[in-house]
Amino acid sequence: MLPLSLLKTAQGHPMLVELKNGETYNGHLVNCDTWMNIHLREVICTSKDGDRFWRMPECYIRGNTIKYLRVPDEVIDKVQEETSKSRSDRKPPGVGRGGRGRGDIGAKPGGRGIGRGQDDGGRGSGGRGRGGVGGKGGNKGGGRGRG
Amino acid sequence: MAGRKETALDLAKFVDKGVQVKLTGGRQVTGTLKGYDQLLNLVLDEAVEYEREQDDPLKLSGKTRQLGLIVCRGTAVMLVSPTDGTDEIANPFLADGA
Repeated sequence: MLPLSLLKTAQGHPMLVELKNGETYNGHLVNCDTWMNIHLREVICTSKDGDRFWRMPECYIRGNTIKYLRVPDEVIDKVQEETSKSRSDRKPPGVGRGGRGRGDIGAKPGGRGIGRGQDDGGRGSGGRGRGGVGGKGGNKGGGRGRG
Repeated sequence: MAGRKETALDLAKFVDKGVQVKLTGGRQVTGTLKGYDQLLNLVLDEAVEYEREQDDPLKLSGKTRQLGLIVCRGTAVMLVSPTDGTDEIANPFLADGA
């Protein structure tokens, strides 16, 4: 269970938010985002020392000032339902873009600069290029490049 | 995904209304919201800072300072709320428990 998915699930529920400066905010969560910025409604603000209180209809709190949030216990049941639902349609892990190597270097005509007096064949065969060097049939090295 | 930044609050509804802004470090300002951006930089008109006690920065001294037209830097903004409907109240949690 991810903290932010718990928070997302807690939308509409009452919660307590304590800020780094010690002030606490009790209210109903309206919305939150991936920065943990939150929007509360019907808020009661309590000063750090706990002896002054303010009521405000709503407030917006920047995520990075939050120390912690207390959410009602029942939210945890809902978040588990939701994660089991969403797990089925999640992509399997580890299927990435792969992509190693730096195929382009060899492909620039004279790209490496220094010392190459003549442009000996702008076809990109110079330098790294081909990728097959390791003998593995080139399935890893980018290398193939243009040219 | 990246476009979902400030979906948590739409400041549009606060434009030309009074807002209270708390800043990191403890300063507290109210003013009329004239503009904002996605980084939460705010333009406040007729801004008033509520000063705090020198020896006890938790307490508001009741003194105010007129700032006029200001830009609040977004990274320093901790909290935004409308001034309309914001009031100091007695301890509501005692009443709840009783």
